[in-house]
Amino acid sequence: MKNRLLHTPEGVRDIYGRELERKELLENKLKSLIKSYGYKEIETPTFEYFDIFSKDTGITSSREVFKFFDRENNTLALRPDFTPGVARAAVKYFFEDDAPKRLCYLGKTFSNHSGLQGKLKEVTELGLEYLGEPSADADAEMINIAVELLKKAGLTDFQICVGNAEYFKGLCEGAGLDADTVAGLSENIRNKNYFGTLDALNDVDAPDSIKNTLRSFPDFFGNIDILDEAQKKVKGIKKSEEAVKRLKELYERLKAYGVQDYITFDLGMLSKHDYYTGVIFRAYTFGTGDAIIRGGRYDKLLSNFGRDRAAVGFTLIIDQLLSTLKRQNIEGEAGKEEACIYYDSVSFGSALKKARELREKGILTAMTRLEKEGDPSGFHKGDGKSLIVYYSEGKEIKY
Amino acid sequence: MRYLTFALTKGRLADKTLERLEKIGITCEEMKDKASRKLIFVNEEQKLKFFLAKGPDVPIYVEHGAADIGVSGKDIIMEENRAIYEVLDLGFGKCRMCICGFPEAKELLSHHEMIKVATKYPRIARDYFQNIKHQTVDIIKLNGSIELAPIVGLSDVICDIVETGSTLKENGLTVLEEVCPLSARMVVNQVSMRMEAERIRGIIEALRGVS
Repeated sequence: MKNRLLHTPEGVRDIYGRELERKELLENKLKSLIKSYGYKEIETPTFEYFDIFSKDTGITSSREVFKFFDRENNTLALRPDFTPGVARAAVKYFFEDDAPKRLCYLGKTFSNHSGLQGKLKEVTELGLEYLGEPSADADAEMINIAVELLKKAGLTDFQICVGNAEYFKGLCEGAGLDADTVAGLSENIRNKNYFGTLDALNDVDAPDSIKNTLRSFPDFFGNIDILDEAQKKVKGIKKSEEAVKRLKELYERLKAYGVQDYITFDLGMLSKHDYYTGVIFRAYTFGTGDAIIRGGRYDKLLSNFGRDRAAVGFTLIIDQLLSTLKRQNIEGEAGKEEACIYYDSVSFGSALKKARELREKGILTAMTRLEKEGDPSGFHKGDGKSLIVYYSEGKEIKY
Repeated sequence: MRYLTFALTKGRLADKTLERLEKIGITCEEMKDKASRKLIFVNEEQKLKFFLAKGPDVPIYVEHGAADIGVSGKDIIMEENRAIYEVLDLGFGKCRMCICGFPEAKELLSHHEMIKVATKYPRIARDYFQNIKHQTVDIIKLNGSIELAPIVGLSDVICDIVETGSTLKENGLTVLEEVCPLSARMVVNQVSMRMEAERIRGIIEALRGVS
C-alpha cells in the first residue's frame, strides 16, 4: 500500500524542473506564433457529455475514451481531443454573423488505450481551428502555420504529407462499391499494402479503369508531379478530379508562402474515419514513430452541432514534439537566470536588499534562512541555479 | 546519410530474408558469422543496420521507429495489430492459420453456440469467430504446444498455424476450417516511409522483382 502513495498510474507522469520550464517556453513560443495569425484562444471544459465525442464527431474510438457518470446518470467523458468541444462552443457563441472564426487551444487530452505500449494516456495538445472558410486559402494557412511551428520549435528536417480524402471517395462512388468493400480497400491502401489491395480488388465488380486506378495508389505518393498522373487517371470522375485540382491550388498558395520544400503528396493517406471531408495532412520527423501533427478539413463536423459550416484545423502533441527535439539533440532556449540567497538571522536586511536588486533585473531569486553556518552550495548540485550568495553576519560571500 | 535499420525475426525467417536481400545487393557479412555475440550488425558502405528480435517484437520495434523496416510473419502482424505499413508479401514462410480439432468437432463449428478455443493468437481467433462466423467464443491463451489442448480436453478446437499438418495427423487431429493464408511480410515505420521514401521504395521495388 505504501508504494501506491508514491506512484502514478500507468500512462501519466509528473513533469517538473528544467523539463517543465522547457515545455512552457516551447508552448508559449508556439502559441504566440499562432496568435500572430489572428487566432483567439479558447478554453473548453476538461470533461463534457460523452455524446460530443461520439462516432460522428470524434476520431477517438469510444473504447479509448475515459467515461464516467454524473448524478443524473448522464455519461461524461474526459476529452480525448479538443476539436468536437471547440466546434460545439463555436456553434454556440460565434456564429451570429457569417465571418470566419479562428480559434486556438492548448491543454491536456486523455485517452484510455491499452497499457504497456510506451504511450502516454495524458498529453498536452496545441491546436487550431479555422471555421467557416471553405477555400484552399484556409488549407494553405493551416499548413503554412504547421511548417512555421515546427521551424520555430527548432526542427529542420521534417515533412508535411498532404492528401485528399475525396480522391479515394470519388473512385469508390464511381465504381459503386459497398461500404464493406470500401472499408477493406481503404485499410489496405492506408497501410500501403499493395498485395492486399490487389487481393481485395480481385472479387470486386467495377469498371477496369477504376480498378486500375485503385491499383496505382502506391504511385500517388511523392512530390507535386504525381498529381498530374493521378489526375489523368480519373478523367470523368468529378469528385476525384476536383480533389486533385484542389491540391494543385493549395500547392500554388504554399509556394507563395515559400514552404513548398516541406511538402509531399500522398493520395493514399486515408483516415480510418469518415470525419475528414477534404484535405488531410500530417507532419513527420525522425525521433518519433508517428506523425507529430495531424490535421485536415472536416466540413461536416459543425453540422452535427446544428450549423453547416466549413472547418479545417490541426493539433500538435507537445509531449511528442519535446521528445523528438531531445532525440534530435536540439537544444531548447535556456530558461531565465536564477539565484539563491542564503542569510543568517542578523543579515536579513542586506539579503532582502540584494534579492530585490536581482529580481528587478529579471533574475528569479529565492531567499532561504540558514541557521547553521556553512557552505550552502551543496544544496544546488545540478539544478542549474546560477548564482548563490550567502550573507553571514551581514557580509556577502559568493559561491 | 542516415542508417536504415532492419529488424528481422530470429531463426529461419531471418536467413531467408537475408538470402532475398542479397539478391538485390543488400548484404551483411557480419551476420554470417554464427558465433558472433553482437546484437547489432552494420554494413558501413550501404549505411544499414540489422538486428534480430523475437517475432512478436518486430512490429513493436517498427511501430516506435526503433527499426525502419521489419520482416515478420503475417500471423504476428495480424495479432499485434500495430500502426505500421505492411508493404510487401515476401512469398516465403508460407503456411495457413487454421481451426483444427478432432473430426467430431466439425459439428461444433456449424452452429453459433459457444465454443472453447485454445490459441497463441487470441486476437485473430476472436476476430474470426466474432466477426466472420458470428459464433460465441471462449478463448484460452496458450504459449506453445497448442495441439495438446483438445487432446487433454482443455478446449474444443484450436486456432493455430498449420504448415504440413503432420503433427496434427499424428495426434488424430485435422484441419476443420482455414482462417487465412500466411507468409512473411515486410513492414515499414510510418515516419521512415516518408522521410526515407526514396531508399525504402527502392528496396521495395527491387524486392518485388526477385523471388
